[in-house]
Amino acid sequence: MTGPVPSTEELPPQSWDGVAARGGWRDVVGTLSRLVVGGVLLVAGGLKLVDLTGAVQSVVAYQLFPYEVARFIGTTLPVVEVAVGLLLLLGLLTRAAAAAAALLLLAFVLGIVSAWARGLSIDCGCFGSGGPVAPEDTRYLSEILRDLGLIILSGWLVVRPRSLFSVDEHLLKGR
Amino acid sequence: MPRPPAPPVKPVTRGPSHALIGGVVVLVVALIAVLVWAATRDAGELGASGSGAALPDGGGVSVGAGLEADVPQIRIYEDFQCPWCGVLERSVGEALADKIEAGEVNVTFQIMSFLDGSLRNDSSTRAANAALCADDAGAFVAFHGAVFANQPQQEGTGWTDEQLVGFGRDAGISGEALGTFEQCVADQPHADYVADMQTRANQDGVTGTPTMFVNGEKITDEEMNRLMQDPSALDGVLAAHP
Repeated sequence: MTGPVPSTEELPPQSWDGVAARGGWRDVVGTLSRLVVGGVLLVAGGLKLVDLTGAVQSVVAYQLFPYEVARFIGTTLPVVEVAVGLLLLLGLLTRAAAAAAALLLLAFVLGIVSAWARGLSIDCGCFGSGGPVAPEDTRYLSEILRDLGLIILSGWLVVRPRSLFSVDEHLLKGR
Repeated sequence: MPRPPAPPVKPVTRGPSHALIGGVVVLVVALIAVLVWAATRDAGELGASGSGAALPDGGGVSVGAGLEADVPQIRIYEDFQCPWCGVLERSVGEALADKIEAGEVNVTFQIMSFLDGSLRNDSSTRAANAALCADDAGAFVAFHGAVFANQPQQEGTGWTDEQLVGFGRDAGISGEALGTFEQCVADQPHADYVADMQTRANQDGVTGTPTMFVNGEKITDEEMNRLMQDPSALDGVLAAHP
């Protein structure tokens, strides 16, 4: 006679065999998404943090905000980027962090689109100091496509936040 | 016989809940963000006083016939480490210096220092401070030209204090004034004003160098290109912005 067996439904995979058996490729996609989006945000935020003057000037270059607002965005945005990036890399609060990343990236896309539409010639300042560039040196399309790709990866994590090697996975154990 | 009621099952919890972690994370991020914002805040006050010819509120170094004079009022935004600013100065700098000397124009040099951040050095700030030191010695325009004449081959190499002092000597600072100048270069008493000039430029909406205004009008990219290529183009550009 066997006693009641605890459901294995919510248990995280214990090994790569288990991963394969349970169709865990989705978890692998989740992990890769976390690493890519989190890594990009961490680098982008870190480069701005070590050059806050450039970060503020990059926001001013979009000509969207009065100076004090631009300065607030330029100094606080890098901190938020680093925090969201770290959460994604750790796999902590994955769904919320991915949603925040998607919102940030959406805001960046809108900013770049508006700069493009107004005929400004600036670098997006995505990775540190931006500002004016020669009209032939603008790269709006590739900047937008890159951000859209990151939004898709973030969207995956919002819909399905489970992934391998995440802190969330360990927090769920024993609940 | 009825069984005694089962003891209440204690929920097994390991570690804090997601909501708690989320709350703490949001608080910590908000705190750090506000601290970073506040740490750069005093730079926005524009209270520092500069050298003799420096305008208040980080408004730059004004030389020539004066702000009230009925001559072309020129405003140049530049960074000593900016290669294109060097191209502009080496093209029209001498003609401009002659006009300043003759009182035919008034030029306000808004010296920015944002390239320090992207080049990961402090040469823009130190050179700008040294330019204000040179102004104290009455040699701003000559020193300004000497720095651009000696821009490093490789952008980002910057200058040593010894080089900056040498530019001061080239600019005609000598004797007792040279000792004062050397001390001023080392101590950077004008660093706060240099930071204010950068902030003021951003407040003016200028985010790239070189940028030039003539009588309040920004000159076009085409005009800037002409100035960079042709030293004799200055009069034509000035005439186009009466």
